[in-house]
Amino acid sequence: MLETVKLSKTFKEKKAVDEINLYLGKGESVGLLGPNGAGKSTTISMISSLIKPTSGDVKLDGKSTIKDPSEIRKVLGVVPQEIALYEELSAYENLKFFGKIYQVEKGKLEERIQEMLEMVGLKDRQKHLVKTFSGGMKRRINIAAAMMHQPKVLILDEPTVGIDPQSRNHILQTVRKLNEEQGTTILYTSHYMEEVEHLCDRVYIMDHGKVVASGTKSELLSILSSEDRIQVQVSRKSHELIEKIQQIEHVRGVDETKDGIRIIVKMGRNILSELVHAAEKEGVQITNFHMEIPSLEDVFLHLTGKTLRD
Amino acid sequence: MSSFFKKDLLVFWRDRKEILLAVFLPIILIVILNTAFSGLFSSDSEPVYIDLGVVLEDDETAGLEQFENKVESLEIAPDEKQRIVEHAMQIGVNQQFVGFFKNPELSEWVTVQEVTEQEARKLVEMEELDAYIKIPNGFTDTVLSSSLLGIESEIGVTIHAKEQSTELSTIEDVVRQFINTVNMQFALGQTGDLDQAAQPVLPQGGKELVDDVDSYTFPQYFTIGISTLCALFIAQTIAVKTITEKRERVFNRIILSNSRPFHYLMGKVLSTFCLAWIQMMMTYVIIQLMLDVFPHKTASFWIGLFLMISLFSLAVAGLSGLFTSIALNMKDTNSAAGIFTMIVMTLGALGGSFFPLQGLPGFVQMIGEWTPNGVTQTALIQFIQYERLQDLVIPLGLLLGFFALCLVIALFMFPRRGRI
Repeated sequence: MLETVKLSKTFKEKKAVDEINLYLGKGESVGLLGPNGAGKSTTISMISSLIKPTSGDVKLDGKSTIKDPSEIRKVLGVVPQEIALYEELSAYENLKFFGKIYQVEKGKLEERIQEMLEMVGLKDRQKHLVKTFSGGMKRRINIAAAMMHQPKVLILDEPTVGIDPQSRNHILQTVRKLNEEQGTTILYTSHYMEEVEHLCDRVYIMDHGKVVASGTKSELLSILSSEDRIQVQVSRKSHELIEKIQQIEHVRGVDETKDGIRIIVKMGRNILSELVHAAEKEGVQITNFHMEIPSLEDVFLHLTGKTLRD
Repeated sequence: MSSFFKKDLLVFWRDRKEILLAVFLPIILIVILNTAFSGLFSSDSEPVYIDLGVVLEDDETAGLEQFENKVESLEIAPDEKQRIVEHAMQIGVNQQFVGFFKNPELSEWVTVQEVTEQEARKLVEMEELDAYIKIPNGFTDTVLSSSLLGIESEIGVTIHAKEQSTELSTIEDVVRQFINTVNMQFALGQTGDLDQAAQPVLPQGGKELVDDVDSYTFPQYFTIGISTLCALFIAQTIAVKTITEKRERVFNRIILSNSRPFHYLMGKVLSTFCLAWIQMMMTYVIIQLMLDVFPHKTASFWIGLFLMISLFSLAVAGLSGLFTSIALNMKDTNSAAGIFTMIVMTLGALGGSFFPLQGLPGFVQMIGEWTPNGVTQTALIQFIQYERLQDLVIPLGLLLGFFALCLVIALFMFPRRGRI
């Protein structure tokens, strides 16, 4: 449905986005992950036609949108990171204004406004000025404003930044509903890995303007499938024990963590008896032992060397 | 387009601080300036009346004899002597001086009585006279010798008063102008009564009078100057709202809606027009009701004023469109507001909103008369004086032209995709 082909953007000397290829199928929910400065917002701005790419293309149903962006604008709803609303107007007035400029039919405008207010759970606050709203409520109206014209594709740029858990849950539920019940295609960027894991069918991971990995959650997790991670809690810290563990066969790495020791071992290798033996020799008691299941956060860390909030 | 227009009006309306400033600031400023300057220009409405004493110690006959003797002693041809003496006899220095104060124009506001010096002192002390003029003995001889023979003397007219006052300054001015006129007449070799053309221009209580024409007053000037300046600030206020739209990415959302730039700009332009028009109308109506700054004006005056306010508001609307396009093009949104304030203040200064254009150097006046507020101010001041509707045709055309020019530039400058 929507794809980018070798999309690039250079600002002066700096390449912000470097030949990225994204694909969003109809009704799909796709996550775009990356640390700050990875090029996510620039990519979104190019897809939504706000800025022109230096090279490459954005295609809607196989048709380029670069020269004439009017078609993609009709099907696209964009929720920016900022609260792009008139604070001096009420929630209702904001939705009415955006509905009108998005040319929602006059007869259907009122119905659509109420539908959107219902969706974001602010029907009872519709007459209140946006400036009196909490951060979470503003973000919910921000989404409603982008949905007024019933877009087929909704792009959300970190829509849950700096809000309370209740509003965050509400937004996640709303996005999920839009995707599952109305078939809206979603492109979702976030700093919160669990949001992307919860909402998205596929994920693109960006770093330094490039897509470094992409796929479904299980496909991405398979990047880490050659290793097992073992978390060990011990009665006391011992450098000698760490040195001994490093010498055990198939051990690829040992880290001291705040909870004890994390051991990375070649997948499927049992080192339990060697580990117990080494601990006994150093007079250290093992109090807990478990295998860690890798998360997308681990994949991200593995690929970029950074955590998402870096 | 109507969505943008309604939205801009609503956003402005909800900003209570802006509303209070827009509605009350011009009115408060005009009232304050009017009150502050009414003392300085009180003479505008109340002419000065002066009671003047003349102490005539000079014996004109004796003075003429003294002068004849002087002429006799000169080594010049007898015919020349005869001509000078005849000339001197025709002048009648004292009569001319006293007569000058009794001429109909001056006698409307100067009452002259001949008194002795003792009486004069007493009357001045009792404040029944504002001042007295002393014409000393030997004055005739001194004036004639100085004027016709070039022989200088220390003797001269003196003015005496209890203290410095507006009245005293006025008398000094009148006497100085009289002497200048008489000197000019001597120089031209004229004698006899002062004809109309040679009459000195007399001060009329600070008013500049032109035949059959009303002069404009300072309250009228303040009303026009301040209201035009404050209306210009509406353009700046609306442009600052654009900066907020840009900063908070609302403008991006508008672009993504496929809205036409012309509609967006016209929303700004129309809302500015309405706000500036309402602001100016309210200012004129309230100030008129409070201070009666335009007394006894005819219906045609109010029609002319209505037309000028409407076209000036349109010019301000054009300026707002231009500011909007500039704001959208500027990377540094914080400095944009400062730049707009500077532009408005410069227009205010050049257009005569802070001080009358007539008091500025010629080239500044010329530039000022091309600013929208300068055009409006000059036209309205002229209109107050002549009340001829046809005089407004060119200024109205200029304001319309300014609006069209601003709009064309604004559309041309409106940022293309990727430049916001």
